[in-house]
Formats: sequence, C-alpha cells, structure tokens
Amino acid sequence: MSAVAVTVFVFLFLVVTVMGFAAARWRRADLNSLDEWGLGGRGFGTFIAWFLIGGDLYTAYTFIAVPATLYAGSAVGFFAVPYTIVVYPLIFLFLPRLWSVSHRHGYVTPADFVEGRYGSRTLALAVALTGILATAPYIALQLVGIQSVLQVAGFGGSGNWFLEDLPLFIAFAVLAAYTYSSGLRAPALIAFVKDVLIYVVIIVAVIYLPTKLGGWGHIFDATNASFTQFNTDNADAIAAGQAAPKAMIPPPTLHWAYASLALGSALALFMYPHSVTGVLSTRNRGVIRRNAAMLPAYSFLLGLLALLGFVAIAAGVQVAGDPPNPQLAVPQLFENEFPPWFAGVGYAAIAIGALVPAAIMSIAAANLFTRNIYRAYFRPDATPREEAQVSKIVSLVVKVGALVFVLALSRSFAINLQLLGGVWILQTFPAIVVGLYTRWFHRWALLIGWAAGMAYGTWTAYGVASPTQAHFGGPLANFPTTDTKVYIAATAFAVNLIVSIVLTLVFRAAKVDPGEDQTRWDDYAADLGDEDVAAEVDPHAPAHA
Amino acid sequence: MSQHAPAPTRRPSPGLWALIIVILLPAVVIPLWVPLYDKTDPALWGFPFFFWFQFALILMSAVLTALAYSLSLAADRRRQAQRRTGREDGDLR
Repeated sequence: MSAVAVTVFVFLFLVVTVMGFAAARWRRADLNSLDEWGLGGRGFGTFIAWFLIGGDLYTAYTFIAVPATLYAGSAVGFFAVPYTIVVYPLIFLFLPRLWSVSHRHGYVTPADFVEGRYGSRTLALAVALTGILATAPYIALQLVGIQSVLQVAGFGGSGNWFLEDLPLFIAFAVLAAYTYSSGLRAPALIAFVKDVLIYVVIIVAVIYLPTKLGGWGHIFDATNASFTQFNTDNADAIAAGQAAPKAMIPPPTLHWAYASLALGSALALFMYPHSVTGVLSTRNRGVIRRNAAMLPAYSFLLGLLALLGFVAIAAGVQVAGDPPNPQLAVPQLFENEFPPWFAGVGYAAIAIGALVPAAIMSIAAANLFTRNIYRAYFRPDATPREEAQVSKIVSLVVKVGALVFVLALSRSFAINLQLLGGVWILQTFPAIVVGLYTRWFHRWALLIGWAAGMAYGTWTAYGVASPTQAHFGGPLANFPTTDTKVYIAATAFAVNLIVSIVLTLVFRAAKVDPGEDQTRWDDYAADLGDEDVAAEVDPHAPAHA
Repeated sequence: MSQHAPAPTRRPSPGLWALIIVILLPAVVIPLWVPLYDKTDPALWGFPFFFWFQFALILMSAVLTALAYSLSLAADRRRQAQRRTGREDGDLR
C-alpha cells in the first residue's frame, strides 16, 4: 500500500460519488416516476445501448474474475474469449426480432413478450423471477471486484469478519444510496468517467507491463514453468483428486467444458434484464446489428486483459489469503509494477467499473419486478409515483441479495457467481428466443421445462465441491452417465428442452388450451417506419395486442 | 393469419438471409471447436497457437459480422421497396 495510490483512489472515488448524487439534478425531472428513475427519461437513445452492452463486457468480470482464473491455472479460464466471439452473431440474429415484436406491442421486458406470446401470466412470472434471481450473483461479482481492490489498496482492518468487510459495506452503501436517489442517471453520468479510466488503464497495462517484463514470449514461458512446477510439487494431491492440475491450454478432457462454458455464457448474456433493456432502447433494428458488428473489437482487449493473469505470474505476484486469493492478482500486479499514482488510477478504474454495471443491473431487475410482478399481480392501477417507489426499494433488495451471495459463497473464485447466474437465466431461453421463431411449444410445457431446468441446475451446482467450499464450488459437473465435465447451465438447458418438447407433444395430444398469441408472424420483422411501430417503448402503456 | 394473402414482408430476400446465416456460422462454430486449436505450436510473437488463434478468430468474427451487417442493410432495402410496391398495388395485407 502506498499513500499516493490510496489518495488517488479515494479522490477519484469521491468524485464519482458526488457525481452519482448530483446526477439527480442532471436533465432535471421528477424522479418520482418509473420512466424517469428507471429509464433515465429514455433520453439517451443509441448511446445508452452502446454503453449498456459494452458495459456488460468491461466490468469487474473482465478485470478481476477472468484474469484470476488464468492466474490460478484453470485450464478453461480463457473461455471468456470464445464466449465474447460467439455472442455477437447470436445478438445479430436473435435480438432484432425481439426489438420488432416489442416495439409493435409495447413490451418493455422479456416477461412482457412471453406473456403476449403465450397468453400466460404464470410463465411471464417465472421469466421475471428468474431475471431478478440471476441478476443478484452478477451484481455480487461486481462487489467482489470492489472488495479485492480495497483489500490490496490496504483498506479494512483484520481480526473479525465485520472489520474485514467494512470497506465493502461502505462502497455498497454509497452505491445503494445514489442509485436510490438518482436512478439510471447516476450510472449514465458516471459511465463517462468509468470509460475514460478503463481505456487508459487497459492500454497502459497491456503495452507497458509486457514490455517491462520482457515480452509476451517470456510471460508465456514463465507461466508454463510455474504451472509445471506446481504440478510436479503437488503430484500426489493431484493424483488423489485433492488438487486440480494447472494448465494454460485445456486438455482433451476439458474440451467440452471449454466449449459449453463459452456457448452457455453467450446464450445467457442477452437474456439478462439489463441487456434486454439496453437493446430495446435502441432506435431501430439496424442499431442492434451495427452494435453487434462493432463490438467484437472489444473482445480483443478483453483477451489481452485476461492474459494479465499470466503477466501477474511472470511478474512473481504473490497474493494474500489462506488459501491464496487469486482474484487479488490484478490489483496486486498494479500495486507491484505501476508507479503509485497510476496504481491508484488502476484501482479506481476497477472499483468504478464495477459500480456502474452494479447500478444498472439492480435498476433493470427492479423494473422487472415492478412491471411484471407488482403491477401484474398486486396493483394493476399503481400510480407512476408508487411504481418508482417500489422500484427504488426493490433495487435495494436486489443489492442486499447480492451482498448475501458475496458473504455466503467463496470469494476466491468470483467468476463462479456469474456462472451460477448463467445457469438460471439460461432456463428462460426456450420461452424467449425459441418463442421468437415458433409458437410450437406449449405454454405449460415451457413452464414445467423451466422448473425442471432450474431445479436440476441449482441442485447440481449445490453438489459441486471445491477445495475451498462444500457447495457451489464451480460451474462444471459431469454430464449425466459420462465422465465428461460440462457447464451445468448447458446440461440444465438440455433437461429443460427435453421436458418442454415431450410435454408439448403430450399437451397438444390432450388438446390442453395453448393460450392466445397476441403476435403475428410479420411483427417479428417490423421496423421503424412501419405502421404501429413505436419509436420508444413506453413503460406505462399496457402491452397491446 | 394472412396465410392466403401474398406475404411481402416475410423474409423478403430468403437468399440474402440464408447467405447471412452461412456467413455468421463460422463465427459461432469455430470458437467452440476446441480440438482445432488446443495446441502450443506454431507460436506467433511469443503467443502459443491456442492464444493467437483465438485472437485471430475475434478479427474473423468482426469481419464476418460487418459483412452480415452490410448484407442485412441490402435485405432491409429490398423489403422496403417490396412494401412500397405492395402499397401501390393496393395490397395492404
């Protein structure tokens, strides 16, 4: 820890905190409506889509969790790169259809679409609940990112758990307070600072550090040597199954794990409430496709950032904790290798880079609750003021849920938090994405399939032990009846799909009421300028047929 | 619905859309085909094959998605042109 680094960090953190609260006055409006609080008055247009989708990539996930898995020698850690390659063609193909049908019918959330498509409020409720549940561990990942920076920067006492986590509680309270008071305006305004800091730090880190450490060739060699040394030293434990061998490249036994992590995460990404909000806020179908064509450029930087895990090994970074906590690798690398003032900038970039998506995610989950649960089930005639109030409170509840994940689960592998969210959110895929193409599936079959996938995925994830914890120890489990490890989300998705298909056949044969479909085939290709296509979706207007 | 009516908006350029899907397919399939690239050699600028190949895939996917985007613009233009002709013929679906 250095006084200069801490001063720079605290200064930048205070600047964005002031900005967060001041954002309430930016483009001044009545924040007592959901429209203003939850969607920033919908005045951001194309820009919001860019930073919402781009912001999903540059979070604590990029800076902390992915390099941490590489630093720890996980052979599948680099899956983040194929994940972000695969995701854009999928966005390109699927999401314009969701945009079209949503803009013709006034759907604001994926649950709205499901209700309109299948005439089932219960299925919509399942989709909404899943969105809220899956967002909590994703926010938790952001809090873990902030926490690792605080720990390396030297905040927080030691001795008992409360003192250790006190800085995290403070950062959490600040985030909760300005999200509550300013809504989506706060992350939107802070995003400017966030983006500038992150780009500066990324570019410096991936150019300056390898140059200083003797080039990428040396970094890979040093990493390889370190992993070989570990595997030799721990040969007995590895043979006994008590430790995992370290590797840079997935061995054949982990090929399916690598591919299923990449595909499962890609399919999950755009089911999240905050992604859908971003996509629906774009002006027309073309904007989504243009974004999909431009964003792969970011994956390149993400890949280099992931490799900072190896850079940390080559630089001889030792992390604190017992067992050692790999997610401290990148902050510790900054601490060791950067001049103190720039280490402070690096800490601030990570912490602020985590605050922005955490705020956006909690707001998106809160909007989902207010629209698809509160108004749909409890108060159909809720006033805008009441809706905004409910959303504000729910955004707090979601963040508290995230805090529970942070405190309850092992923080040494923060990436597991995001992968657990992926297991859940992927179970809404058949209802949403398959629903964009065909109405073949029966609504009750989809609901039971969803329940089966959720139950199977949660149960399997619960049963995964790791050296540090007995449950929720990792994202991989054996595919039933084989020894091949795959991402649990993919297996649960297969269970979901099989149940949905079989039961659809049963319900169709039994002539169970399939429900009314509000949509028509040509809704899915509608674009701005066609009849009945709204330029903006209004969160207050009821979804219409 | 309007199964009997001419369907001017349904996939107005099926050929173009099939082409778009064919173009995007490698960007989804190749990154998931791990045995293709789980190797150290040949290395490039110190990067083992496994790593530089995936960076190359990012560039490939960027090019393919951009290509698909320009084709989709052409498909959209055709669709609009068809709609206009449809209206002039008094066929409003």
